[in-house]
Amino acid sequence: MKTLSQKTLNRSFNNWFYGNLTCFSQEHMQTFGYMLAMLPVVKELYATNEEQTQKLKTYSTFFNTEPQVGAVVVGITTGMEEARANGEDVDDETINGIRAGLMGPLAGIGDSLVVGTLLPILLGIALGLSGGGSPLGAIFYILVWNFGMYFLMRFMYFKGYELGGKAVEVLVGEKANAIRESVIMLGTMVIGGVTASWINITTSFKMLNSEGGVIVDLQKTLNDVYPSLLSAVFVLICWYLLSKKRMSPLWVMLILVVVAFVGVLVGFFDPGLSY
Amino acid sequence: MTINVVQAALLGLCACLSSMPGLGGTTFGNYTLGRPLVAGLVVGLILGNVPMGIMLGAAVQVVYIALVTSGGTVSADVRAISYIGIPLAMLYAYGMGWTGAETEAQSFAVTMAATVGTLGTVLFYGTATMNLIWQHWGMKQVDEGKLDRLYLVDWVLPWISHFVCSFIPTFVICLMGSNMVQVIKDYLPMDGIAMKTLFTVGSLLPSVGVAILLKQVVSKPVDFLTFFFGFTLCAFMHLNLIGCAIVGGFFAIMNYNIRVLALRPVAAVGAAADDDEEEP
Repeated sequence: MKTLSQKTLNRSFNNWFYGNLTCFSQEHMQTFGYMLAMLPVVKELYATNEEQTQKLKTYSTFFNTEPQVGAVVVGITTGMEEARANGEDVDDETINGIRAGLMGPLAGIGDSLVVGTLLPILLGIALGLSGGGSPLGAIFYILVWNFGMYFLMRFMYFKGYELGGKAVEVLVGEKANAIRESVIMLGTMVIGGVTASWINITTSFKMLNSEGGVIVDLQKTLNDVYPSLLSAVFVLICWYLLSKKRMSPLWVMLILVVVAFVGVLVGFFDPGLSY
Repeated sequence: MTINVVQAALLGLCACLSSMPGLGGTTFGNYTLGRPLVAGLVVGLILGNVPMGIMLGAAVQVVYIALVTSGGTVSADVRAISYIGIPLAMLYAYGMGWTGAETEAQSFAVTMAATVGTLGTVLFYGTATMNLIWQHWGMKQVDEGKLDRLYLVDWVLPWISHFVCSFIPTFVICLMGSNMVQVIKDYLPMDGIAMKTLFTVGSLLPSVGVAILLKQVVSKPVDFLTFFFGFTLCAFMHLNLIGCAIVGGFFAIMNYNIRVLALRPVAAVGAAADDDEEEP
């Protein structure tokens, strides 16, 4: 009965933690990071170079997912490779089937939950701590994010290793969906808070009477209706262009440049600059 | 203020570590060093003005708070935003006599970062394309059974790609930066239409960043209510983001509990309801 040593598992995890994207290309994306994570594993499980090479080649097929949550896949295949070395009936197709099958769902979970929600929350809090140029926010973010992600990824890897092929059920089950939905809800609220706190779009549009007195001060009126309304409106327009019109972010930015130019020309925007 | 050779080299090194296929790794490289807020601290330390670096970095961070590089598609690459955009913005702010707290300084930083961010996209594809060379060599090594060379392929050889596509561009642009911002200052008057547009763009751009994230999390129109709930907490009720996160966390837990209740077998719930009706 072959069992992987803790040292090998640590090494395999650390190889993934650091190297998952270091040699990225559009053709192979995370394949090389994956092979490197499996290298200590096959080296311990198989004695001859021929066998090691043959097993490692299982992992030379394309792989790409959200790499932090994706640590669980590396853990799962490590568990399966161990089972295979102990004579269980695990072939290349089974391993690559699980790899290919989990890539998509995990990318979805990782992108929305970790990169799309957890990261903005932490950054949002860090921004709140950065008032007046204080380094506290950046230090908070560096510590919390790195320790948090390291332990999360470690947990995912070792959980995957423990459960092997059974982990698939846990990852896409109903309870996982409930957690995901709730955390995204929290994230959406925080993003609303970020918009209100950090985006500051104002208009300088005023209607004057013949003596130069102000009849309508649009910004003041808007503030009475709903503070920071313009910021929210611009976010909604951008969202509409990105998701309903399927424009790329670069195009939306270009449109904003045009909007800014026209807005300045007609006097809707005026940053009030002077030397 | 100018950027000397040592400072430019340090900025170049940070660019190598922090980009999307970066050499600092995903968690520490891209998602830590690459974030403009952290870059504000790092650039501030390198250039010797941490408060200004943080203030400008924080302003840029809002635009890229939701920079999701799913599936290797990039809208802008962080190495250029953080380690070319922020240093240049700091040079300019120095030239204008700003401290970094001014709205103008922050708008300029955002505009500068977004502009060089498009250059970053080119650098991203450059790096990824050069890595193809190492990967093809690497596959051959695996075929020949020289497995330990994978370390070389994944950890060492990409430094060459980054030297060409991250280090050199950052180094050169940052070194020339002080001349460039002088040119901007001389030829573009602050009350002219070009600068007004530039600064207005700076205040509009953050909405793209938030919208990219909303696209990820909003699946049906009613989700916008959640967004406006958080917005209202901060805009009307003046909570800060920590307060907002705590209120949000409370609602998330309630939502989770309700969802888990709903997961219980439907038959049992139905039977219980029937009993109630029969025996009032």
